[in-house]
This record gives sequence, structure tokens and C-alpha cells, in this order.
Amino acid sequence: MLKSHLALFPLLAIVTLVLLLPFLLPWSYDQIDWDAVRAPAFSGSHLFGTDEIGRDRLARLAAGTRITLMVAVAAALVSLIVGIAWGATAGWIGGRVDEAMMRIVDGLYALPFMFIVILLMVVFGRSILLVFVGIGLVEWLTMARVVRGQVMALKQRPFILAAEAAGTPSTVILLRHILPNIAGVALAYLMLTVPQVVMVESFLSFLGLGVQEPLTSLGILVKEGADDMDMTPLGLALPGGLLVVILVCLTIEGERLRDRFS
Amino acid sequence: MSLYENRNMAVTIAGNRLVEDVSLKVEAGHCTAIVGASGSGKSLTCLSPFGLTSGVASGTMLLDGIDLGRAGSDQIRDVRRRLTGFIFQQPLTALTPHLTVGTQLQEATMQAGSARPSRRELARKLERVGLSRADERLDQFPHRLSGGERQRVMIAAAIAHDPRLLVADEPTSALDASLRAEIMVLLDELRAEKGLGLLLVSHDLASVEGHADQLVVMDRGAVVERGPARQVIADPEEDYTRRLVAATPRLQEPAPVLSRPGQILLETRGLGVAFDRPGWRRGKIRALADASIMLRQGESLAIVGGSGSGKSTLGRAIAGIGPVTEGEILWQGAALPERRNRSLEMRGLVQPVFQDPVASLDPHWQVGDIVAEPLRYLRPDLTQADRIEMTRRALSDVDLAEEFLTRLPASLSGGQAQRVAIARAIVASPQLLVLDEATSALDPLAGAEILKLLVRLQGENGLSLLFISHDIAAARRLCHRVVVMEEGLIVEAGEMQEVIDHPRYPATQKLIAAS
Amino acid sequence: MLALITRRLMTAIPTLLVIILASFFLMRLAPGGPFDGERPLDPETQAALQQSYGLDRPLWEQAWLYISRLAQGDFGPSLVYRDFTVSELIAQGLPISLTLGGLAIVLALMIGVTSGLFAAVRAGMAADKTIMMLATVATALPTFVTGPALALFFGLWLGLLPVSGTSDGGAWLIMPVVALALPVSGAIAKLTRAGLASVLKQDHIRTARARGLSETKILFKHGLRPALVPVASYLGPAAAGLLTGAVVVETVFGLPGLGRYFVQGALNRDYPLVLGVVTLYAALIILFNLFADLIYGWLDPRMREG
Repeated sequence: MLKSHLALFPLLAIVTLVLLLPFLLPWSYDQIDWDAVRAPAFSGSHLFGTDEIGRDRLARLAAGTRITLMVAVAAALVSLIVGIAWGATAGWIGGRVDEAMMRIVDGLYALPFMFIVILLMVVFGRSILLVFVGIGLVEWLTMARVVRGQVMALKQRPFILAAEAAGTPSTVILLRHILPNIAGVALAYLMLTVPQVVMVESFLSFLGLGVQEPLTSLGILVKEGADDMDMTPLGLALPGGLLVVILVCLTIEGERLRDRFS
Repeated sequence: MSLYENRNMAVTIAGNRLVEDVSLKVEAGHCTAIVGASGSGKSLTCLSPFGLTSGVASGTMLLDGIDLGRAGSDQIRDVRRRLTGFIFQQPLTALTPHLTVGTQLQEATMQAGSARPSRRELARKLERVGLSRADERLDQFPHRLSGGERQRVMIAAAIAHDPRLLVADEPTSALDASLRAEIMVLLDELRAEKGLGLLLVSHDLASVEGHADQLVVMDRGAVVERGPARQVIADPEEDYTRRLVAATPRLQEPAPVLSRPGQILLETRGLGVAFDRPGWRRGKIRALADASIMLRQGESLAIVGGSGSGKSTLGRAIAGIGPVTEGEILWQGAALPERRNRSLEMRGLVQPVFQDPVASLDPHWQVGDIVAEPLRYLRPDLTQADRIEMTRRALSDVDLAEEFLTRLPASLSGGQAQRVAIARAIVASPQLLVLDEATSALDPLAGAEILKLLVRLQGENGLSLLFISHDIAAARRLCHRVVVMEEGLIVEAGEMQEVIDHPRYPATQKLIAAS
Repeated sequence: MLALITRRLMTAIPTLLVIILASFFLMRLAPGGPFDGERPLDPETQAALQQSYGLDRPLWEQAWLYISRLAQGDFGPSLVYRDFTVSELIAQGLPISLTLGGLAIVLALMIGVTSGLFAAVRAGMAADKTIMMLATVATALPTFVTGPALALFFGLWLGLLPVSGTSDGGAWLIMPVVALALPVSGAIAKLTRAGLASVLKQDHIRTARARGLSETKILFKHGLRPALVPVASYLGPAAAGLLTGAVVVETVFGLPGLGRYFVQGALNRDYPLVLGVVTLYAALIILFNLFADLIYGWLDPRMREG
């Protein structure tokens, strides 16, 4: 059991570290050390050195990871709630309502959502709330489809019909019979949504359209690192490497859960 | 020398011996049938020697003099190419979906090395297995054909290269009941015509009776008894065989003794159900039309028919879990409204039992809660203590011990799960049970026990039963009268034995032949 | 087949119309936009806008004007690149973006399908597990990480490949295309392998085996087409992902493709440009999805009825 969840360990380690580090490090993520600009790794109190303005790399890494993960979880929850609500409604009501709702999903599936989110940000300004909601809206379609499929399949299962014959009211059927039976699949897809959302957030931040100063995220750190990579490759390697590790672990774990519940 | 012979054959998967010490013979032009419950090892037995399962077969296996046990995988593949043909259970998935019927039949004809067949030859092969419009079919994809048609294509493909041995693994189990007799007759004809040896596997003794020359009975990976089919059935030596023969509903067995019915309880008049076509297409699909039946107190009525006959639709409409678009249902003279308009009291009068016992129980709920569910809503006057008491009583009525209260559905066998479903159905003391193919998914022994239980409940509690099934022999054990349906209409009705002795409608005759 | 195409178009056209109308209204409502009066524009642009959008006409007439101009390929003037109309910018940038995307998907299919097939045939063995692990890692490699990393390694350190701009010959294409193709090829490898592994367990494969056919023949004649169905379904989202990734790659490698114009436009609030690109991309993806559906129909005849 332990071995099969191997991918969770690096994730848990990272999460613990980024939560604890602010209390352990002498430098915060936006503090400038005027004496040590572009300091290499292991110089004094800067474990990974400083960036081109003199900010401690490790502190920025921890802060950026925190923000990225926070946004990712929030956005994934948005997509979960919207997706379940849409999919369960379509699946439960069925008939023409379901067809209409799923046609909309199919139509939206084809769109370059990323661009639409960017469009919205251009129009309405860059607030952190918009980042959560916008990113969440990119990913709800898959959840809606999966939940709708599950609910439709369950609706025809004899134990639901038996509950109806037993006089159980519809709301109780939904709560006590249907929801527990889709929880597993929903959770699995939630796990898979998180890396997608991390990608989206980092992508937006890389382009300068996501999280804004003074906050930082892994995407911003990668952009800064890329701009500066001819001078200090570490600035790119650290956030880039960490991002990849997080994504790989989340994907492996998510796929394992998905295979278990399918 | 027999065409195909096994002596002390065993099949091992990942170190576990799943089949032990099997001996059987198949003679050219004759049929040997292997019969047993699921898990008895019959499929492994007939397919493993030819390398078609993940199991490794050992022992003596001789086909036309070739020792399969000593043969390498290339040699066995060669045997499959030239000497054997196979028919599998699920015609829906056994054909390649992206190749036309003609392409696949051509591949089958040429597999032993013959020259490319002409279109006429291929069409003739399809005609021989009973397919109409053969030339059209050659260009069709498998999903355009019905289940019965696909099975015929499989049979044509299996014999296209003139094999010596035909192996059929449950060839009729997934087919509509009215087709089963036809397919078995077709196999008999082909066997005689081409001098094929037929090795047949089935879980249903009744379907092989009259077609098999030799019978092999298996249970849990071992052969229990074997010999000439007629003899084994008429005079079984082993206890298991005796129980299996007794459990299998056959029309030749003596008629049951049933309780006497009372007043008229339920009537339907001109009941009809129509569904909208899926998508935005116009028009409706008529699943049921003009159905008028009558049921008395303490009586059991059988509703038999093939799939698509409308029997489930009728049952669900009566049970209040399916729609009604025309006609009316009367309960003791008063109107019984349809599904959503039924009051709780009315719901308590009729309860359903479904085909797949495990799917009819919520996998996350304990048995105790499952059985008590109707009490919560249909009898709100009861206290919790009352409910617990009535749940216990329901369980004991279906012969399940109290320890089952905390079990989860996944830990139950098919027979036990169906008993739980029946306990749930009777816990609130209904007057009518609607049983939709309630024994069809069960093994013969478990199914026979359920039928006995139902007869007992009917006698003790005066329950009326609506028994929906494709198996008229099973219905006969339980029911006073029968109604035969086809394509949404009632085509014949009457006293059970009367209809069996003098069927008037072709649909009825087919169903009787299948038993 | 025709029914499928018609049905698809019937969903596509309203979707496109909705996007266009939504874009139009968004543009009118946007704070800080050219219609707000907040930012004073020079008389030339003001006049051009007045003419293009008919700002003195009623709203519905403006909408109709916008759509009819779009249908003719006129996306309006760019606010930032004053000398160009949006159509001209698109004409400049689109070929580069399409080349990048096209090559990337071809490369991804080649790598993905072959490695997926290889892994599936050796299911359970070391080769399979290694390939699948590599594929998973590949899907987690965002283009904005691999792009700069490749540029750093092969460009700056080894000096083998050009780091920015287009040049004669194709060398400038190599790194951007590889960065784009990597995550997609990983996804395709996984889908191919999963597809084939599940198809090989299906009944019709057993029937083919029962006929005594060789394993190779079974694989290619009976197994391949259904196995590729998940890949065909993925082509639509893959195209969307490539368009998105192209934006990054063009920024990182300084390529004058459409994606880079888009980002510049977004950062500078060049509404007509941004809207024009979004509309164009949406149309492209819808077209590509239709194409993917046709492939799907060829692979699995059951889908042909639509």
C-alpha cells in the first residue's frame, strides 16, 4: 500500500516544506539584501543564492510554490463544484434538458479556453479572484462529462428504482444513493484537474497575465529565470524543476486513483 | 479413435490448478456438451487446450491424432487455423467492429489456405446459416446486425474453412430466448451435414437436452459425471447431477401444486407506453400497446416473451416505477395512478424484484438498512424498534440468518443477494410482487431455490406474483396462468398448462421450443 | 458520414456566432477600452474607429456591421501597431504559427504512436514501464519550462541552434517544435498504449486468434484501428493545447508568430487584435475538431451515423 502511493511522498514533503519555511528562514520572499545581489548558492544565509535584485531564492521558491498550489486547489474546487452541479443535473433530469446541456459542453470543449480566459482578464482587469474562477472554468467541462455519465448510468441501476418503489423521495435518493456512488470518480478527476490547473496558472503568470506583483508564483519565477538564464541558470532550473516534479507526482497519483475508481 | 479426446486434463493459471482430471470424448458427427454452473471451469476446459485462455493445459489432449499437450504454440496455432472452428458467447463483441461482414468471412474462409472465395460463395455461406439478404450483409458492419444475426455470421465464419471440430462456448446464452432453439437446430444440421464434431458448453441443462449425445457435468473444476446424455438426465448417479437435473426447469417435469386464488386484485385495461425517440427525431417508440391483463389474490401470473417484447415495460408500469401513456390500472376496482402520482399507501401495495441481484442493492449500504428502507417511507407510523423487528422477520422469512444485517452487498453470493432483495420487497407487507427476470441471472441451483422460496411465500402470505421471464419452464413451476408477449403486444393468454400443450401463436411455440 | 458533418457544422456555426457576438459586446463594455473615452486617441485612429464600427449607429446595427466585416476577413485596425490592420498582422503571423503547430503535431504523433504501440506489445515488461514513465514525465513538462531549458542548453551553451528569430533554412524550427511536441507526444503515447492494451483484451481479438492468424496480423488488421480511437478523440484538445503552447514558444524564441502578437495585444489592451485572434483560433479549432471527427469515423464505423 505504501509503495503504490510512492508519488505522494515528494508532494507531501514539498507541501510541508513550503508551509514551514517562512518560519525557519531569515529572509522573506520580497526582502532585498543589498549586500548580496546575484549571490551564488550557499553564500551566507542564502541557501540557493539571490536573484538579480537581491531577493533570497529559496524564500521566493517557497512563496511561489505556496501561491501556485493555493490557486490550483481553489480553482480545482471551482471546477469540481461547477462540474458536479452541471453534470449531475443533466444526468438526473435526462431527456431533452440533458441533451441541450451536453451539447453546450460539447461546443465549449472545442474552444481555446485559455484564450478566452486571457480575453476576460484583459477586459476586466487582473484580480486574483478572476484567476481562481477563470482557471476553474477552463477545467469544469471534463468533470461535468464524467459526472453526467456516472449519474446516467446510476439512474437506471435497479437499486435506484427499488428506492423509488420504496417511497424514498428524490432528494434523499440523490443525497444518500447517488452522491456516495460518484464520490470516488469525482475525487479521482479532481486529482487529475489539479496538475492541469497548475499548468494554466503558471502559464498565465509566465505571460504576465496571472498572479501579479508583489505576489509571486512558480510561473513568474520561471519567467524571471528564463529572462536571466544566460547569467544564472539556477534561476530557471530551480522553479522549473520543482514545477515538473509537482506536476509529475500529481499526475501519477491522479491516474492511480482514476484507474481504481473506473 | 475419437475425433477429440481429453484424458486427465488439468488447467493451471498462475500456479493455481483451476481444472483437475478432466476426461471427455467428442466423436465426429456427434455432440458432447459440458454443463455446469459459472466458475465450474467449463470454458477453461474447452478453450485452454487450444491456447485461447490465459490458462495452461496439461495432460493428454488428442485432436485427430495430434497431441496438443506436446505441441508448441506455433503448432497449436496451426491446429486452430486448419482443424478447429470456434463460436463464443457474446456475438455483440466477438466480431471486429471496423471490418465488414464480408471481409471477416473471407478471412475465415481463407485461413486454412484456400483460394479467395467469390462473392457468390460468401453469400451462399451466409444463406446456409439462415441469413436473409445475404449479398447486402456482406458489405455491412457488424453493429448493423442484430445479436441473432451476428451469431449466425460467427457460425458461418467458424465453419468456413471446413474444420473437423467445432467448439461452442455458451453459443445461445446471450441470445434472445426465441432464437435459442433455432441456433441449436442450425448447429445440429451443420454437424450432421459436414460430419463435424461439436463440443458445446452451457450453464443451462435444458438448452442442450435433445441436442447432445454425450453429457459431461462439471462442478468446481472437476468432472462430476459423464455419459450418454439421455441416460445421465433420466438416471443420474451422482448427487450433484441429481440436484442439477431437479433444479433445471423442464417442461417434461410434473406440474406444480399451487394455492387457490381468490378475488380479482389487479386489472389493466388497454395499457400502453410510448417513449419519445432519442435526439430531436420525430415520432415515438411504442414499447407497449393495448395490454389488458387480470390477476387475482394469491395468484401468480407469468408474463413471457423475448427481449423487446414489452414485458418489462408492463411490469414496471404496474409496479409504479415506469411510465404509462395510455390505458388504466385498476386495483380492486379503484384506479391506480401512474408512477409519480402514486401515494405512499399505493406504493406499499406493489413492490419490485429485479434481475441483477447485486445491482439492485446499493453497494454502500448495509443489508439491514437496505431491507428497512421501504419501512422508513411507507410506514412512517413505526418506531425504530418496530422497524428493526420487522427487518429481522423479513430476513428470516427468506431464510437468511441475523448476521446478514451488517453485511455489504459485495460480500453476498447471487442467491443471497436476491434473497435480500426479496426481503426488502416483502418487509412492508405488499400484496403484489413484480419479479422482472428474477432468476435469470442466477445459477441453476440458486435459481431453483428462489423459485421454491417464492412458492412458499405465496402459500404462507397469500402474495400475488407477477413473474416476468423468457423461461416458460421456470414460470411453470410458479404460475397459474401465463400471458405471452411479442413486440409490445399480448399475443396469447390462458391457463399455464393449456398454453404449453396447445400453443397457437408462433412466438409461443418458439419460447416453448427453447425450454 | 454526411449526417455527421452536417450535425457538427450545425453545432459549430452557432458556437462561432456566440463567440463573435460575445467578443463584440465585451469590447464595447471593456473599461479602459477605445470606446470609453478614457484614453484619448489621436484623430486618425479615432476616425478609423468611427468608420469601422459606426459608433453613431444603433447597437444592433453595429453588431451586424462587425459580423459582416468579419465574414469578409476584416478584423478592424490594430490599436497598438498603428500602421497595420488586424488582418494584416494575422496574415503575417499565421503561417509561422501554423507551421510550428503542424510540425509539432506530426512529430508528436510519430513519437507517441510508435512508442505507445511498442510499450503495449511488451505490456508489463521493463520496456513498457520505462516508456510509460517517460511519457508521464513528458506530459508534465510545460513548454515554458522546456523552451527556455532547450534554448539554454542547445543554444547558449552548445551553440548548435539559433535562439531567436527566424532564419533561412529550417534550423530555427527545431527547438520550438520539439518543446511544443513533447507534452503532446507523451499524452499520445499513453493513450495509444492504453487503447491497444484494452483492445487486445476484447472479444474480437480472441476470435481472430481462434482463426489461427499470426499475432502481427491480428495487431495490425484487427487491433490497430480501434486502439487509435482515443488518440483521434484527443486530437481536438491537442490542437487547442498546441495553439496555447505556441504562444509561449514564440515568446521565448522571439518568433513573429500569431501567438506573440496575441500576448503583446493582451498586455497592451489592443482589443481588436485580441478579439480577432480569439475568433480566428476558435474557428480553426472547430475546423480541426471536425477533421478529427472524420478520422474517428474512419477508425470506428459505428460513429459514422453521427
